[in-house]
Amino acid sequence: MASQVVNLRVNERSREFLAAPGTPLLSSLRDALGLMAAKRGCAQGSCGTCTVLLDGRPVMSCLVAVETVDGASVRTLEGVARGGDLDEVQSAFLEGFATQCGFCTAGMIMTAEALLDRNPDPTRAEVVEAISGNVCRCTGYGPIVDAILDAAARRRKEDAAARRKEDIAARWGTADIAATPGTADAAARRRS
Amino acid sequence: MITAVRTPESVADAVGHAAAGGRLMGGGTVVMAQVNSGSLGSPEIVSLRRAGLGGIGVDGALARVGATATLTEVEESPELAFLRDAVRSVASPTIRNQATVGGNLFVPQPYGDLAVCLLALDATVEVAGPDGSRGAPVDVVLANGVAPGEVVTAVRLAVPAPGTWFYRKAMRRKLNSAAIVAVAAVVETGGGVVTSARIALGGVAPRPVRAASAERVLIGRPLETDVLDEAGRAARADIAPFDDAYASAWYRTRVLPVHLRRAFLG
Repeated sequence: MASQVVNLRVNERSREFLAAPGTPLLSSLRDALGLMAAKRGCAQGSCGTCTVLLDGRPVMSCLVAVETVDGASVRTLEGVARGGDLDEVQSAFLEGFATQCGFCTAGMIMTAEALLDRNPDPTRAEVVEAISGNVCRCTGYGPIVDAILDAAARRRKEDAAARRKEDIAARWGTADIAATPGTADAAARRRS
Repeated sequence: MITAVRTPESVADAVGHAAAGGRLMGGGTVVMAQVNSGSLGSPEIVSLRRAGLGGIGVDGALARVGATATLTEVEESPELAFLRDAVRSVASPTIRNQATVGGNLFVPQPYGDLAVCLLALDATVEVAGPDGSRGAPVDVVLANGVAPGEVVTAVRLAVPAPGTWFYRKAMRRKLNSAAIVAVAAVVETGGGVVTSARIALGGVAPRPVRAASAERVLIGRPLETDVLDEAGRAARADIAPFDDAYASAWYRTRVLPVHLRRAFLG
């Protein structure tokens, strides 16, 4: 059977490309779409550096036959930053020196994004469980777990600021007196 | 070299492609790994992703779990909460978003912890084939597989009464590791003694096995340390352990009674 045309919504853009039979989603992202953040580590689902979000859930993109998910929504690390601004998880990784060699970072961040989407206030144990499919070859898990907890705290703070701003707007018809300018805007952008 | 990936949208079409020799694929955690390593034995893959085999339905104490329900869906099902610890002992959350209940019946040991649970639960496997559908006991499917052209469509199980479900998995790490020994059991007691017991073991044989010898030891006796130690030693008659990267056959045999006891007494 010949290659097939596959449609995916990747980072909120509609993308169409050809895939030979049995092509993993990872290969399509890298080779057809030029999205190089997700890495090919083991190609066995053991290392997690190819993790992307498929319809909102983290998956090992090396284990997804791309023809079988035609029409799905995919989010990669390239779709995390908005308007050139790093999001809370990226900022926390950068400032907490959690990237280390960088090979696992794309997968770690996508796993963390999925965790925080579902659980804004995870315990350390919940973070450790969430990233248990992501191997850090530097063995530097401490800073990574710290960064994810830090990102969760940053995001909760921003969300609280955004809620305050909305409350003020609802009560007074203006949002001009938000307590922390900038952060509330970022949170609102993320939720839109 | 893969020449085709079929994504049938009905069970009948899936059966047709399977009968034509395609390799069935649930979540892809096993099949795609073989594709990537070039070791898949078939040029054609039949994905069940769109065959309408997902979902979990519960009616009273009876549950029907679709073959392509993911392990995450089982983990998040309130009605199947008794299986949560067992499911969370399988691989990582990321893999559990992909791996399916039907696929877990066909993964090689020492993987397939959910299949060990289904054996203890005496589940029924629904199978569709060219000649129609049938129900097969899970132990038969685990032992013999299904016929060429047949497709597992669901598993049916009875949710055990509170306090009768037991599970323990010994592994090298606390998360994301295969079984050294897995123990799953439904054991009912009355008047302080065991009245019925179904114990299944993983990690200690080429496929999940019932610990019939241990079950016999328990019947009519209390769930106490010395009885469970005796049952654990008896269970050594039911296993065919192997060496792998996780543990040696010797070690698995040695620690089996410990983990069988801990499944019940913690």
